[in-house]
Amino acid sequence: MSVVLRAENLHHCVATGEGPLTLLNDISLQLARGESLAITGASGSGKSTLLGLLAGLDVPTGGRIWLAGEEITAMSEEQRAAVRARCVGFVFQTFQLLPGLTARENVMLPSELRGERGAAKRAEEFLARVGLEHRLHHYPRQLSGGEQQRVALARAFCSIAGDGSENHGILFADEPTGSLDAGNGDKVIDLLFQLNAESATTLVLVTHEQRLAERCQSHLRMAAGEIEIAGSAPGDSLSEVSA
Amino acid sequence: MLPLKLLFRDWRGGELALIATALVLAVSCVTAIAHFGDRLTRAMHIQSQTFLAAERVVRSSRPVEEAWLDAARKRGLQQAETVSFASMLSAGEQFQLAAIKAVSGAYPLVGQLEMRPEPSAASRAVEGGPAPGQVWLEPRLLPLLNLDIGDPLQVGDAELTVSGLLDHEPDRSDNLFSMGARVLINLGDLAATNTVQPGSRVRYRYLFAGDDTALEDYFNWLEPQLTEHQRVIDLQEGQPRVASALERAESFLYLAGSLAVLLASVAVGLAARRYSLRHTSYVAVMKSLGAGRGQVLRIYLGQLAGLALLATAAGLLIGSVIQAQAVSLMADFFPAEPPPSRAQPLLVGLVTGLACALGFALPPLTRLARTDPMQTLRRDWSNPDRREWLGLVLGPTSMLLLIWWLSGDIAITLALFAGMALLVGGAALMNQLLVRGRLANLGGAWRIALGSLQRRAAFNTLLIAAFGTGLLAMLALVFARTTLIEEWRMQLPENAPNHFLFNIAPHDAEGMEAMLAEHNVTSTEFYPMVRGRLVAINDIPAKEYNEGSERVGALRRELNLSWTENLAPDNRILEGQWWDETDEGVSVEVELAARLNLALGDQLRFSIGGLEVEAPVASFRSLDWNSMRPNFFMIFAPGTLEDFPATYITSFYLPPEKKLFVNELVRQYPSVSLIELDKIIERIRDTIGQVSLAIESVMALMLVAGVLVLIAGVRASIAERLQEAAIIRTLGGRRRLLVQSLLVEFGLLGTAAGLLAAAGAELTLAVLSQRVFELPFAWHPLLWLLGPVAGALLVGTAGTLACRSSVSQPPLKVLRELA
Repeated sequence: MSVVLRAENLHHCVATGEGPLTLLNDISLQLARGESLAITGASGSGKSTLLGLLAGLDVPTGGRIWLAGEEITAMSEEQRAAVRARCVGFVFQTFQLLPGLTARENVMLPSELRGERGAAKRAEEFLARVGLEHRLHHYPRQLSGGEQQRVALARAFCSIAGDGSENHGILFADEPTGSLDAGNGDKVIDLLFQLNAESATTLVLVTHEQRLAERCQSHLRMAAGEIEIAGSAPGDSLSEVSA
Repeated sequence: MLPLKLLFRDWRGGELALIATALVLAVSCVTAIAHFGDRLTRAMHIQSQTFLAAERVVRSSRPVEEAWLDAARKRGLQQAETVSFASMLSAGEQFQLAAIKAVSGAYPLVGQLEMRPEPSAASRAVEGGPAPGQVWLEPRLLPLLNLDIGDPLQVGDAELTVSGLLDHEPDRSDNLFSMGARVLINLGDLAATNTVQPGSRVRYRYLFAGDDTALEDYFNWLEPQLTEHQRVIDLQEGQPRVASALERAESFLYLAGSLAVLLASVAVGLAARRYSLRHTSYVAVMKSLGAGRGQVLRIYLGQLAGLALLATAAGLLIGSVIQAQAVSLMADFFPAEPPPSRAQPLLVGLVTGLACALGFALPPLTRLARTDPMQTLRRDWSNPDRREWLGLVLGPTSMLLLIWWLSGDIAITLALFAGMALLVGGAALMNQLLVRGRLANLGGAWRIALGSLQRRAAFNTLLIAAFGTGLLAMLALVFARTTLIEEWRMQLPENAPNHFLFNIAPHDAEGMEAMLAEHNVTSTEFYPMVRGRLVAINDIPAKEYNEGSERVGALRRELNLSWTENLAPDNRILEGQWWDETDEGVSVEVELAARLNLALGDQLRFSIGGLEVEAPVASFRSLDWNSMRPNFFMIFAPGTLEDFPATYITSFYLPPEKKLFVNELVRQYPSVSLIELDKIIERIRDTIGQVSLAIESVMALMLVAGVLVLIAGVRASIAERLQEAAIIRTLGGRRRLLVQSLLVEFGLLGTAAGLLAAAGAELTLAVLSQRVFELPFAWHPLLWLLGPVAGALLVGTAGTLACRSSVSQPPLKVLRELA
């Protein structure tokens, strides 16, 4: 299996008024194509920071990251954006749909940013796959929380679906059920794993929910910016993903 | 497509509409003023040329060298010549003094003569003056000389035939102080009349027109050769005073327009900043999805460009329509037929739109491109980028350059900015007084309002300054137009003369004085008047006597010189002696003496009709130009000027019920010139009324721009206000309490702005009173009442309306949405 995400000795500090604050310390991991990884931990443990660094939203103060075979830590902001545009999808806790765009237009957004043709058709296909073919022209404010997160899922998978060639796409999800009730949360989780399996994408998600973490192949629990436990299932050691 | 899609979809957010409205306001305001100014300037240009009957004129008291005229011909310039002098006409037993003008064939080079071949015929424009052997007369001369068309008329030694009646000559204004009615003859007949002898008082005018470069070249060559008897008259000097008043009004309009643009720009900046903050989350998401900084910049710059172009186009259109209306309303006050609009002023509007959009909207939008995509994970939508230097530098710089360009005067521009800085300082002080006061003790609504004022101190300072500016300009203008002019009129002495009579021939003076007395009309003294030029001071050419002397207007033209034994009641000797103590010299008006740096005893040499007269300075004299009496810069001791041909001048008061007396007077003395000041004052009042209307319209736009600043500021805090209102209502606060607190908050801000405006307007009026109207300082209590009341009403209403959504939305909905 080819490795699509690899991190080596990640360190991340930020400057504060009281001196430098270490957010992440000595994190290493690697994920093969099609694998899923759950990152859990208490608030402030550094899991969202790690997610952002792995997705290339920021650069660590130390260590190296390879995404889809390219070292993103050696890239400029513009080059990292290009990598994200090519093979990264995001699902956020608060959906982050643009309120001025319809469901279809929100899903079209990644394709439009890449300047691709046929964005509308592909968006409609993905909205149909999440069961929202009847909500194409609705604005986010006209959708329920569960529906909004399904639109966000469609956008994320549309984002990494690319042009149909070999998929190196990685989906990053930050507390994808955090703003949903249990019923809607379950529906979204089912859909997430179903689409992940169909698209053979790699999945990295941050969650507080045990049942969501349990559905991932690997698990990484963080505490105070360091890996506390890593394993193939929650609570187990995960030798193949740890350095 | 994405930028346009976001642009149209985001319209509901309100900021884009606000930016567009502010841009439309700024562009339409400046476009209208630029169009108006352009048409006014061109009308004045046309009129000035007409007033000169040429593009440039050389005026001389003696013939110029033939070589000068040859040089003009060699440069391909058109050329004409006129010779003016006073002479007696005779027809049979009738005699009449007249102002004769002999004109060459090409006269006039610009404008047209209008004449009638018969008294009953309609006046028509003609090319060129009378043919050799013929003469055209001003109509009133026919009955005076008992003449008909075709009759012979003796002009000096020549007998000419009356072939037409002269109704209009373009350069007639040059003849205001000439003696008698106009007679036009052919220059070829001048020698035969034998009227021009050495020492005669003759004015030669050499008229030139042609290619601008050739004219410039010719006058560059000619001007160093001119003597003190010769002077070049250009377009600037051809302008009458009403036109220059309109020109000043145009500059004032530009300044007022600039303030409106400045306020509109602040609204653009506030709205763009709010838009930028609201879009931080959008950009963070887009960046997460792979958009680079350049792509984000292209999206938002594309939006801004689209918006700015649409708004600017709308502004250009609206501005053009407004100016067309304004020009048609004010066409009567234009010095000439308003020329058609042209494209150049649109450029001014376009540059204004770009300066506002780029200077104030660009910085917040470029900051947007630096949004950190990690914010999507932190769920923190504050804008962490504190580098606002671009906005702090670009906005004020673009405005400074724009206003400098519009006003064409860096000193005025800097003064305007200094004034604005002062106003912002005053606003900050007012704001401090508001929030530090003990008004919170007044109860619930007051406490909530004061809390809100304290939390938004920076914006409130801006708001007080913005409204203060608009109200200040409006109050100062309205009070200047009404109160000051009324005060000026009131301080004129009762029965101040309202009619001037001049060009009174010496032999008419006695009879006229008797006629006035017979009709119980009290006149001032009949002053003799001789025209002469001050050429030397202590044997040094007057223009070189002091640094800056060449700019003293009195040295650039002929002065009216007079003599009298009696000091006029409004004149006062400040230094030196009057004629009861000395019997020689000249008394000089004190301000002119100061400009010329004269001392008592200095020898002044005057050139009068080619002859020279010298007199020492005997006294310095103050006088009141507003007394409506004839007044003179130079009054000679009796006995100095009596040998020169003089005319007389006087003024008198005529009550409205005796107005018909004027007709009788003019009928009996047709050769005198009469100025009816009452009509002129009426005309000035009409002009001021119309000009004020235009300026007040721009002031109103300033207030609209102030409202835009208010809306933009309120929108920036609307989420916070919604939350506060929802919490208060959840805790049992009533909607009425919230509305009251908004009225108090914005009412207090308006009152503060009104007080600031009243203080500024009082200061402006004090300066105007003393500098322009020469009135003592007086308080205007109404101003101090009107300012705060108008401010409280305007800002209170607009602010409460702008915030109405914060009290009208159900609190549950608000809290859920904000969560």
